[in-house]
Amino acid sequence: MTAISTTGLTKRYPEVAALDGVSVALEENRIHGLLGRNGAGKTTLMQLLTGQVFATAGSMQVLGGSPVENVEVLSQTVFIQESQKYPDTFRAVDVLRIAAGAYPNWDQGYADRLVEQYRLPAKRLIKKLSRGQLSAVGIVIGLASRAPLTFFDEPYLGLDAVARQMFFDDLLADYTAHPRTIVLSTHHIDEVANLLEHVVILDQGKVLLEADTDELHDAAITVSGKATAVDAFLAGREVLERKTLGTLATATFTPRDGDELAAREAGLDLTPVSLQALFVHLTTANTASAAAATDTHRASDRAIV
Amino acid sequence: MRIRNVVQLHTVNKLQAFGWPLIIMSLSLTLVLVIGALIVNVGGAEAREGMNEGMQYSGAIFALLGPLIGFGFTAMGQYFPLALGFGLTRREFATGTLLVFLGNALFYAVIVTIGKVIEVATGGFGLSVRFFDVVYTGLGEWWQTLIQTFLLIFTVMLVGAAITTAFHRWGQSFLWIFWIALAVLILPVVAGFLISEDFRAFAGQVGGMGWVPWMGVILGFAVVGGGTWLALVRRAQAR
Repeated sequence: MTAISTTGLTKRYPEVAALDGVSVALEENRIHGLLGRNGAGKTTLMQLLTGQVFATAGSMQVLGGSPVENVEVLSQTVFIQESQKYPDTFRAVDVLRIAAGAYPNWDQGYADRLVEQYRLPAKRLIKKLSRGQLSAVGIVIGLASRAPLTFFDEPYLGLDAVARQMFFDDLLADYTAHPRTIVLSTHHIDEVANLLEHVVILDQGKVLLEADTDELHDAAITVSGKATAVDAFLAGREVLERKTLGTLATATFTPRDGDELAAREAGLDLTPVSLQALFVHLTTANTASAAAATDTHRASDRAIV
Repeated sequence: MRIRNVVQLHTVNKLQAFGWPLIIMSLSLTLVLVIGALIVNVGGAEAREGMNEGMQYSGAIFALLGPLIGFGFTAMGQYFPLALGFGLTRREFATGTLLVFLGNALFYAVIVTIGKVIEVATGGFGLSVRFFDVVYTGLGEWWQTLIQTFLLIFTVMLVGAAITTAFHRWGQSFLWIFWIALAVLILPVVAGFLISEDFRAFAGQVGGMGWVPWMGVILGFAVVGGGTWLALVRRAQAR
């Protein structure tokens, strides 16, 4: 069953289109990765899906209904956002108390364990917490709420490597014990690559790629060897990225049947591309093509003038 | 409707919600009592009478009312984004917050009224001082103080929430328009006071128009502030 589906979802602000015609379908009870560079529209998409902001155009269905002012949908949704503001006078314990009342599936025992595990000073004023401790507040709420639909927007900013790994382990363990739909936006792609079952890559407010991570393993590979052999091997094919070092070259491309044998015969090495590398290749290529399109427009404008 | 969650959001920190306003009020009252004791002991009966009359306009009670004025601003500025973050709807937030405003206004109005009754009964705590029995909270009967203080607190909360919501929506440009509009309203009044005898007479008539019409004016502000707030909060977005 689909937990989230959007069609042509658009959000425009006076200066910028934060989202532009986004159509995605996210299955329930899976961990979805929402990837994109800064300003790609990840947070805006999550804010729309949780009814925090209103769409300019398009439609969306979350857990079978529109999330806008929908108690039934929103009571099953938790959104942990990196930029969440808290009242100045609040302590972490106050936020956790409200969360305990707000989420029907809240597990207080689990929340207490997490508070201890992340060494969260629960009685300290929120405004005096470090960035990492603030992230820990969100992680405790996001996990202990056990909401059927959980959004994590950059949940571990400021956390050290140990705490980040702890979060990944906790997320996976609790997800296994209590399956639910999780949407995770992050910049640390390699760290979460093994967690994600499905990925949406946003770039400049548009969907650049939506696929299961299993499919992405075959989406691109890197060939390396002598530059002349690499060029001959890839002749006439679309290359996502190419780098040269002296007489050697590496290139990333979309594979097809028979490539493995052909590369071996040409004395070239083939290696799979990590999710992070694929993300970098795709977004870089998209930025380059957007820049080229802009240049073409400018040139044609000048020609007309 | 998850109204209980909204009420909890506003009151979860009891010390902040109720403790500090009452502590600050007690400190302010203590200071007034000390000043009263000094004046009575040093100045004698004449000073005592003058102090009692002058203190009708004492703003010491704003040690309590002041933080409550800010409550409307923080409700929208700080609690609204968190409410949305917890998946509460705008309708739930508005309904719960309205109840909290009403409850707060009633709670503190009762405190002030009890204080006034004690103050009047004891002759200004035996020192002829005024803290609760002042023009802002009503110089008339105890029930007038109850109604006036309730309306005053409730109104400033609604107006504060409306202003913050409008700022939330239109940003700095709203503030410019707000201050300019306020200046356009206030400047002619100030000018009228300075240059026109007739205007001063008219203002005197308005000022002395009685308790009921004044309560009507405050109620009018409450209706405009509350109506604006409720209309705007329906389309308010997270920032």
